[in-house]
Amino acid sequence: SSVMAELMPSDSRRCSYFFLYDGSKVKGEGDPTRDGICYFYPEETSLDKQELLCGQLAGVGRCVSELSSSPVRVLRLRRNKFAIRMKDEFFWALGCSAEVPTIRVCELLDQLINLFCFYNGSVRQSYQRNSRETLAARWAQYLSHLQSGSSELQHIFSCLRTIDSTNVDPLLLLKAALILQACQRCPLVLAGCILFRGRVVSTQMSPELTMKVMVYESENYAKVQRPNGPSTSSSFGGDVSSTTVFLTMSELQDLQSAPVDKDFRYSHSTPHKDAHPKKTRLSRTLSELAFSGSDSFGPGSSQSPQKVSLSHCLSESDNSVFSPAGSQSTADPFNPSPQPLKHQFSSGNNSEDTLYESCYHSFHSEGAGGSRIHSEGGDGSVFEENSHLSAGGGDGDTACEMMVKCGNEESCDDKVMVGESGAGNETTQDHRTDRDPPPPCPDNTDESPLVPITLYQHRVKGLVLALLVEPHFLSDTPSMEEVYHSSLASLNGLEAHLRAISPGAPGTPGPYIFAHYDSIQSTLTTNLSGRPEGAPEHPFVRATSLLHSHFSNTETLQEAIIRSAGAAVYGTSSVAHETYFQQHGGSLRNSGIPNHQDSAFSLPSKARHRLLKHGVNLL
Amino acid sequence: MTTKTSLLKVILLGDGGVGKSSIMNRYVTNKFDAHLFHTIGVEFLNKDLEVDGHQVTLQIWDTAGQERFRSLRTPFYRGSDCCLLTFSVDDNQSFLNLGNWKKEFIYYADVKEPEKFPFIILGNKLDVTERQVSTEEAKQWCQENGDYPYYETSAKDATNVAVAFEEAVRRVLAMDERTDHLIPTDTVKLHRKPRSAATCCS
Repeated sequence: SSVMAELMPSDSRRCSYFFLYDGSKVKGEGDPTRDGICYFYPEETSLDKQELLCGQLAGVGRCVSELSSSPVRVLRLRRNKFAIRMKDEFFWALGCSAEVPTIRVCELLDQLINLFCFYNGSVRQSYQRNSRETLAARWAQYLSHLQSGSSELQHIFSCLRTIDSTNVDPLLLLKAALILQACQRCPLVLAGCILFRGRVVSTQMSPELTMKVMVYESENYAKVQRPNGPSTSSSFGGDVSSTTVFLTMSELQDLQSAPVDKDFRYSHSTPHKDAHPKKTRLSRTLSELAFSGSDSFGPGSSQSPQKVSLSHCLSESDNSVFSPAGSQSTADPFNPSPQPLKHQFSSGNNSEDTLYESCYHSFHSEGAGGSRIHSEGGDGSVFEENSHLSAGGGDGDTACEMMVKCGNEESCDDKVMVGESGAGNETTQDHRTDRDPPPPCPDNTDESPLVPITLYQHRVKGLVLALLVEPHFLSDTPSMEEVYHSSLASLNGLEAHLRAISPGAPGTPGPYIFAHYDSIQSTLTTNLSGRPEGAPEHPFVRATSLLHSHFSNTETLQEAIIRSAGAAVYGTSSVAHETYFQQHGGSLRNSGIPNHQDSAFSLPSKARHRLLKHGVNLL
Repeated sequence: MTTKTSLLKVILLGDGGVGKSSIMNRYVTNKFDAHLFHTIGVEFLNKDLEVDGHQVTLQIWDTAGQERFRSLRTPFYRGSDCCLLTFSVDDNQSFLNLGNWKKEFIYYADVKEPEKFPFIILGNKLDVTERQVSTEEAKQWCQENGDYPYYETSAKDATNVAVAFEEAVRRVLAMDERTDHLIPTDTVKLHRKPRSAATCCS
């Protein structure tokens, strides 16, 4: 027990442990556990301790899985919680401090595994082809990427890092979207995104795919050379590079079914050499832009395409242009385009559609799945004989102390002041029922074939155009030149524009704080960025973390207020959004017993009123 | 001066749709796309060339002609070495607006001696048959407004495009030489970059 106590690190929001254990290497009674440890983080951990943790978690994980006939998702060990994934003989565990929301820990592990597969292909084959040392460097790189640079709130939601759209002329977001559209005129270009200094300016890909692509960007930016490093195409100078990446079938179908206007493609790809539709389209795009005013491009406008897409109305790609983060992926999954799939790998059968759907929802269901299966210390006799794993829920769980002290998320539910208002939102209910049962997406990464594809990158100083292209794009010189030359001037210009934007004064602390999370586009809008209040110990951040966890675990929960003696935070959740609001100043008339004069009860109306000007409509 | 490569910034200004982007693309990539987007804000391409023994990198800035993009484009006027005021010979209004473009440039580029600044006038779309602006009218305007060189160009069939940019380079180089010769009587050294020159002269 003292050994384990020593193992457990001090309180931290970050990943404290991560390991990949290959059970196939430890078959016989005499086989040492260390033979199965492919990678262990922190790397400086002594082998004895590595073996202890790997052996315990892998053993318990497999045991519980066999007894319950369902995969273990979360294990708690003292003050850490471990997300668990098992695939074939591989066993992954990622541990964070227990106060990190369960959904966040699971997401982090899934992202990590998916990132690895994206850049290396199947895990088994990677370990057959490469040394453990080589792949260890990659795990370390992906882990550090996933945890780097984000604000505390971004960590809570694990959202995309986007440029501060409040500070950027919306016309520039349109410019970026048009550059991407122009690249798609080449039929070998599937989709792309534009990044500036490691942040998304515009993307045509799903948030998950965009996040993966960003690793290559940041890696190149940091001038870190991979062992099988990116190949550079000399004919275009050092600013163009490419690497092979691997897409799941669902990701590939997502890209192929994205509604690219075929008339928009270069004429050699289409039988009719008629560019007229293109011209019509563009002028319409611009005129809509010109007369709708800049507000329509703010954070608020990004909501409308989603709403439409959720109500099965949006079938045209045009609207995606208007969302800062690009929402083609949101338009599609609910209304797959009937276009024939021309890709050699696509088979387009229904089972894959289903897989796609479930993959798409994996974000939402992960928390539910995790909480359902996760094993609490003491509630399963399995753990009774193993004192190391009998983690009591309540000890020192500081995340909850703001309003109530409780051991796990579930038991907090009854103490949330404004409870579930499950009454009557039929669409919401239906939608959430659809998401059940939890999709097997992450587990399927190895089963479903991974399709190699090329990630092409064109850098102009801090600006990067990243495109997913068919592998033969690189050998198709005319196509490559066309894409390069048709985008170069615009990229130069966009870079000059974005560089000229001053970082913007850190907003004066207003009378309120808010955070608005868009789970479809995986973006966060907040007035908290860059302020000292962004620290993890700030009541707003802690309350948001806790409420986000509640919303993730309790699908019927729509509104909640959480408070301490000094602060009250209101949170509201819908299918596509979560919004958090805290009002400063004014006396909190808080007697400890809820009464109608309690100022906390006015938070919902204040939030509705205040957030309208940020484009957040809670009405 | 003759051995090292200098970077010259030239900027294309003029009404939306007169063909500024097409002129730039024709000159740098020798391609023509009849259905380009409206330019949003600014864009630029570099081109290396040799004029009269001088190696130069021409940085050609293409701008959005529409009024609604004004705030995006004007910050990038500063530092220009030459301005190509462009109109379309089949659009009289674009010709009438030349004066406004010149004024806008001088104001935002913060040109200290507007009468000495090298402007070049381009009448584009020479390939179009229905002209609204005659060569004489255009030449007269150029003469009256500062004796500017005038070129009738067609980005579509590449007429006079390279010639116009080479003339731009010559004008800038000539300015530099004149500046260099002025030094003996002047205690202030004028650098070719107007940005630094501005601080020296004030």
